[in-house]
Amino acid sequence: MGLAGFLQELDEFARDAIAQFASAHDAETLEAARVEYLGARQGRIKSAQKQMGSVAAADRPAAGKHFNEVKQSVESSFREAQQRVNQAADPPPRDPTLDVTLPGIRPLLGRRHPLTQTMEELKNIMGRLGFSVADGPEIEDERHNFEALNIPPDHPARDPLENFYLATAGVGVAEPVHLLRSQTSTVQIRVMEAAPPPIRVISMGRVYRPDTADATHYPMFHQIEGLLIDQHATMADLKSVLRLFARSYLGSDVHVRFRPSFFPFTEPSVEVDYQWKSGWIEFGGAGMVDPYVLRAVGYDPDRVTGFAFGLGVERLCMRRHGVTDIREFYKNDWRFLRQF
Amino acid sequence: MVMIVSWNWLKDFVPLTMSPEEIVSRLTMSGLNHESTEHVGDDLAIDLEVTSNRSDCLGHIGVAREISVLCGQPLTISEPELTAGGPPVATLTSVTVEVPQLCPRYTARVLRGVRIGPSPKWLADRLTTLGIGVINNVVDVTNYVMMECGQPLHAFDLGRLTEGRIVVREARAQETLAAIDHRTYPLQPGMCVIADAIRPVAIAGVMGGAETEVTERTQDLLIEAADFSPLSVRATARGLRLHSPSSYRFERRVDQHGIDWASRRACQMILQLAGGTLAAGVVDVTATPPQPHPPVTLRLSQIKRILGIEIPTDTIRKILTALGNQEQHSSASELVTVPPTWRRDLSREVDLIEEVARVHGYDKIPEDVGVPMASSHTTDQERVLDMARDTLVASGFFEALTPSLVELELAEDFSPSSAAPCLKVGLAMLRGADHLRKSLVPSLLRVAQLNESLGNRHLDFFETARVYLPRPGDLPNERYMVGLVSRRPFGYLKGLIETLVERLRHGQSVEVRLWQHPYLAQGTGVELWLNGEPFGYLGVLSAQAQKKADIRQEMVVAELNFESLVHAAVLVPQFSPVSMYPSVQYDLNLIVDEKVRWGNLADTVRSVTGDMLEQLEYCETYRDYQKDGHGRKRLLFSLRLRSLTRTLTGDEADQIRRSVLAACEQHHGAQLLA
Repeated sequence: MGLAGFLQELDEFARDAIAQFASAHDAETLEAARVEYLGARQGRIKSAQKQMGSVAAADRPAAGKHFNEVKQSVESSFREAQQRVNQAADPPPRDPTLDVTLPGIRPLLGRRHPLTQTMEELKNIMGRLGFSVADGPEIEDERHNFEALNIPPDHPARDPLENFYLATAGVGVAEPVHLLRSQTSTVQIRVMEAAPPPIRVISMGRVYRPDTADATHYPMFHQIEGLLIDQHATMADLKSVLRLFARSYLGSDVHVRFRPSFFPFTEPSVEVDYQWKSGWIEFGGAGMVDPYVLRAVGYDPDRVTGFAFGLGVERLCMRRHGVTDIREFYKNDWRFLRQF
Repeated sequence: MVMIVSWNWLKDFVPLTMSPEEIVSRLTMSGLNHESTEHVGDDLAIDLEVTSNRSDCLGHIGVAREISVLCGQPLTISEPELTAGGPPVATLTSVTVEVPQLCPRYTARVLRGVRIGPSPKWLADRLTTLGIGVINNVVDVTNYVMMECGQPLHAFDLGRLTEGRIVVREARAQETLAAIDHRTYPLQPGMCVIADAIRPVAIAGVMGGAETEVTERTQDLLIEAADFSPLSVRATARGLRLHSPSSYRFERRVDQHGIDWASRRACQMILQLAGGTLAAGVVDVTATPPQPHPPVTLRLSQIKRILGIEIPTDTIRKILTALGNQEQHSSASELVTVPPTWRRDLSREVDLIEEVARVHGYDKIPEDVGVPMASSHTTDQERVLDMARDTLVASGFFEALTPSLVELELAEDFSPSSAAPCLKVGLAMLRGADHLRKSLVPSLLRVAQLNESLGNRHLDFFETARVYLPRPGDLPNERYMVGLVSRRPFGYLKGLIETLVERLRHGQSVEVRLWQHPYLAQGTGVELWLNGEPFGYLGVLSAQAQKKADIRQEMVVAELNFESLVHAAVLVPQFSPVSMYPSVQYDLNLIVDEKVRWGNLADTVRSVTGDMLEQLEYCETYRDYQKDGHGRKRLLFSLRLRSLTRTLTGDEADQIRRSVLAACEQHHGAQLLA
């Protein structure tokens, strides 16, 4: 075969192949065309390649060059067609009845109570600052709820109408006086009685005061308190710990403010405010542990100092989540609980 | 307690060189929290919150002293000058104090021939600013002086005091007093009253009586300035539900040394405004003369030790002196001062440190010192509680928090944890709730009831809290429990408890023992056992209990002892190898009598399969009375056998299967379904 004839056949092959590929609209037709033109065994490209042998030796380089060009162009036309066919080919829906806009089948998930969540968050932050959780009884004696906390017998805080005292059987024997703790500071006393300094604990849990339930009061509520006792703990340490706490809790570089206050078990005593947006919000009470308290647990106030701070969990939780009535926490309406 | 001060009035004692805004801000930052300010006429009514230790600030002079210290301005208090024109007071009246423990000091002055009339405008205006009603020149003066120095006073119409004398004594049974608020109060022994020769004329420290009050017809006055026991005044005010500005101040203690000043100040003003003649001298009955404060030593090194900042000694001295502390002596290391009589809260070194700190300013204390790091420890209890909450929440249970105090009926209805009568408190927490609960379940049922009544379909709740089990003569045993209520089937709650236990200790199973309780439907109550110890109970609420709880749907309840869960938990699980060899599984369908329990059959299967048993899985129970006969059931289950060390041969596996069938037949009469 002469060179011209060979080239002409090649061009025809290319024209046919490209036309076939271009007209193939589904994968099946395209595959058939591929086998016919580019098939590794019996494709027309194979026979064209064989015919190259019959071209005169001198013309072979030119024939080979043209063959390669044609082959590349046909192959690229196939790839284009393949891409086009693949894109266009929508397989039939697996399930024509599937309505993907139907609501999903949700696993039933409960929720931790918002107060639990708040306490856990506070506990975790304080844990990172080195404070471990200490626990103590909710029913206390007068020593732990009052005496050791520098609340003498004539103090108004010990009034029977200000506390839930346990009723006694009242038959002859002098029974010990017990009451529902009115603050979690009781735990501080128990911790200090049980261990020497240094101390770094938080205590939290239920406390009880006979308030009439309204939007901001409930006769049972939760407190969280921190206590640090060491050889050189100062009010600057207190302020710094509370600022670290605030930065963790509020997630921004907030500042802390102290205002003088009064608590029997701390001296000096302060109210703690956090800077929030343009103003200050109340956080809780704090102070340096009163020397009387240190002595009451057998510590020497000339050797150790310490600070304590405490806050109401409900109040914090209400502000954090915009809850307007404290009673919601104890009503346990599912529609309330599921929001947190 | 709030104290309202008049801006104009403060100016009598201290130059106000700063704006009201600046001054209230400084007061707030030094201990008198500013609540609000209102314009009243040409005056400002400034509402300040006074903590219970600062009774000295329950008068304008005390607040003015704070301002003088904070602003560095002089404080001016003048001594009342009195001219006595009358006979010695002892010739006109007498005072007997029968109860010195309730009334440590009683002073009386007498003015005769006064003209009762309206107060001048300046005085009336100041009282109006404070929200105090204007009565007449004498009553207004007693109120005015109280608001000036914090010492309550009372003016009696001397002519109406029987025999013109005063007896301070306890009230007698059946005595009553018509008070100046036009209400009659029943008095009780223990209450301290001011009486004349025959009857009470005032409730000591709380309120005066109507019959001896000063009216237009009054000519002669007896001015009382006294000190009454704080506890007694508080108990009386509380008992009568009669709280007055006077009782409030006595409850917080008055300045023993300020009593006479107040009496003279009132007489001076009355003489100016109502005329009359003052009897010479004063009747002063004092049980124990007030002792001067002992000196307090402030070691200067303690400032840095407590506050964390250095404060120059000069500043410390200036602050303490300005507050009224009298310096006795000082050295390079300490400062010894005698606190002022009006500051009963200053008796120790640390009290002085607080004074220095609050006046110097807490803003001077840094908030960025390097607090040393410390490790913290999470207790097993915390970790198990966290895992338990996770498991229950993931299973669709919502955590509830319910009050620890419940009504007696609720407390005693169901208390499997203790047979002892539940503890009672003296006051009810909420309507009728005055008993400490011994179980969480009744409270949770109430939560379910509320939710059902609200139309909420979700009734699966849990609570982790304490129950209170009495221990005679000791603090109660506070047992931490996990309570559960659910409207899902018995098997679901049982499975949840099994899952919870399995979560805490891999491979741990829960055993049950039938347990009867009227609260639970017959045959559904079980005690839950873990490692040979009971740790809780589970059952379907009986129809009767359900009705009592006012719930329409059948409820399943459970309660677990939390400490048992902690005890069982393995918080650092240890790896045990898993087999790499194939398993052999048999599905078995055995016909047994209805009375055969799965638990017993399963025990039999386990006893013969040994350690080749990888899993014994219950599938279902099926009944076909026509084919199997009445009282018969089919138990379908599967058996998966696997060795850790080799591939089981078909013969071995089949041998185990045959021994299972033989044992089940022997012990339970089980027939393999052909």
